[in-house]
Amino acid sequence: MKRSILFVAFVVFVMGLAWSQPGHAADTIKVGIVDTYTGPATSFTQDTLDGFKLAVDKINAKGGVLGKKLEYTTRDEKFKPDIGLAMAKELVMKEKVDVLAGTINSGTALAVSDFAKKEKMPFFVFYSKSEKIIGEKGHKYVFNMNENTEMAGRAAAFALAKKPYVKYWIAGDDYEYGHAIAEAVWKNLQKQNPKVQKIGESWWKLGEADFTPYITQIMAAKPDFIIVATGGSGMVNFQKAAKATGLVQKIPFYQHTANELGTLLPQGKDAPEGVWGTSNYFFYYPETPANKAFADDFKKAYNRYPKASAFVGYMTAQFIAEGYKKAGKVNTEAFIKALEGMSLDSPVGPLAIRACDHQLELPTYWGITKKDPKYDFLISGDIQVIAPKDYMPTCQEVLSLRK
Amino acid sequence: MDAIGILNQAFVGLSRTVILFIVSSGLSLILGVLRIPNVAHGSLYMIGAFMAFTLSKLFGGGNLGFWMALIGAPCAVALISLAAERGIFQHLYEREHLMLILLTFAFSLVFGDLVKIIWGGEYKSVPVPYMFQGFVPLFGGLPFPLYNIFLLACGPIIAILLWLLVNKTKIGKIARAAAVDMEMVGAVGINVSWVFASVFVIGCSLAGLGGVLVAPTVSVTLGMDHTLIMEAFLIVIMGGLGNIWGALLGALIFGLTQSMGILVWPQFGIIFPYLAVVVVLLFRPTGLLKSTW
Repeated sequence: MKRSILFVAFVVFVMGLAWSQPGHAADTIKVGIVDTYTGPATSFTQDTLDGFKLAVDKINAKGGVLGKKLEYTTRDEKFKPDIGLAMAKELVMKEKVDVLAGTINSGTALAVSDFAKKEKMPFFVFYSKSEKIIGEKGHKYVFNMNENTEMAGRAAAFALAKKPYVKYWIAGDDYEYGHAIAEAVWKNLQKQNPKVQKIGESWWKLGEADFTPYITQIMAAKPDFIIVATGGSGMVNFQKAAKATGLVQKIPFYQHTANELGTLLPQGKDAPEGVWGTSNYFFYYPETPANKAFADDFKKAYNRYPKASAFVGYMTAQFIAEGYKKAGKVNTEAFIKALEGMSLDSPVGPLAIRACDHQLELPTYWGITKKDPKYDFLISGDIQVIAPKDYMPTCQEVLSLRK
Repeated sequence: MDAIGILNQAFVGLSRTVILFIVSSGLSLILGVLRIPNVAHGSLYMIGAFMAFTLSKLFGGGNLGFWMALIGAPCAVALISLAAERGIFQHLYEREHLMLILLTFAFSLVFGDLVKIIWGGEYKSVPVPYMFQGFVPLFGGLPFPLYNIFLLACGPIIAILLWLLVNKTKIGKIARAAAVDMEMVGAVGINVSWVFASVFVIGCSLAGLGGVLVAPTVSVTLGMDHTLIMEAFLIVIMGGLGNIWGALLGALIFGLTQSMGILVWPQFGIIFPYLAVVVVLLFRPTGLLKSTW
């Protein structure tokens, strides 16, 4: 009896050794991803992960990075910053990851970023849009791989300032992202066109199901243009209500990401035409071989078109790989140095990480929703490219936010 | 704001009321008869909406798809709730409310994940049926969506059917009696267990029906249950626990204060329905109408 217990204990011990082996192996570079894989945000985060995976598979097929395999492991933070932070800690302490990445949730991104700063651990922010990430709370170890609210606001203001509208109405989801987007558009629009005036505001609760009462009220006030600051499923809800009430024919309005696939795909051919929006990636524009190749690869792998979030995941994996290659060794300080100012070819042309604040310099596409016979959903028409230099806050502006 | 604006806004608020009423009347029915505070009620509403998406797509997405969804999705939700009731809830009626809240909360998490497994994380959109697309000019030429007019018509129909069910049918009478004294009803030889099952299924189907009706106006997404279940509970509490007409009254107050609040103070339109709840509970802590509890 005693012997058999000893034997079992021995077997368990050996198995334990065998299992724990890969975690400590030095022949991999490991990325720990913390993101929301529960609830409505999944619509974006799954694309980020799939884009990331696509790039990782390609990198490993070509022999990996510095002779090592690029690996990743994911954790679901359920849209809760405290869980996200605990998971990031677990990934660093137990999984011994070399790099952290993730999250659509700004709260989690800021919490993990703070932890990354203390641990001197590189952290790539995927898809949360708080400007604090590289602004107020920015530091040496954090990289922002998508646009933030300030950037989106400036890009929209840049395009709107040239339009003849004077009387504006502001409406949006009553949470941080909604207010930040609205504030950024309005503040910058006022600077670029002093003639504009705000005649009213409406704010609804996050997850509001029925926008009709808000829309009828706004229509009665007769503004020239509406800045709609919705996020997530609110994007679709507002567009549906705008179509049902006929708002879209009466008063033009703008939503950040209104013309993005994530907003238009679920509505199919029923999405309203004539909504202004900004986005940072379209799989159908620019019509270059590189962009087509990425869209085709993604579609082949996952049987759907890539959204902007997929593009972010795809590029992040490549920057991580190239960063280590350029550094020549797995060393955090050398890796960060290598990434600063690094420019890579992307599906939409060369993209660089700005050295001063670690912000990826993305073009923004301004456009209006329209039908296209090639697709069974709406796409963006009249695309106007807004270059990073025209809308990104300067290094000085960003760094002055850091105290 | 002029009278026309107020009238318009009231109409818009009423169409919101319809959805709230349908869902919370189901919740109230179950609360009144079975005494289960069913937190998973919102999940059934979500499942109803996702079912509507699937069925409407299956039948071509047009008018036919919508009508099939309107019939099929509540039936599917009824089946799910029947399984849950026969499998689990029927053994737990005697338990404490706290335990039931925890259990139904667990169910809402399970349902949430099941929906993710079956339908995935993408937003879904159910098209407005062709016959209800577009809008009509209402008072003063302000546009009013045709679909909302359809919703306005649904409300009274459901209310009348519920009234008939509760007051004119045998099961309604037994259910009302059982709500007052379950043991006594059992003592006179009525199979209370199956009466309870039927009431539970009817209540849950109402959540499913609410989900179908709301689907064409919103994006069908994970998490759409959370906001609704909170509003539904507030409405039921405001109207009086277990009282279906309380649910109607509560939904009316909730829908109208919201749309009127937006008119008065658009930046802070959100707070008005909640303010109404506070005021009601301050003066009538047990709700506006007679609670069955």
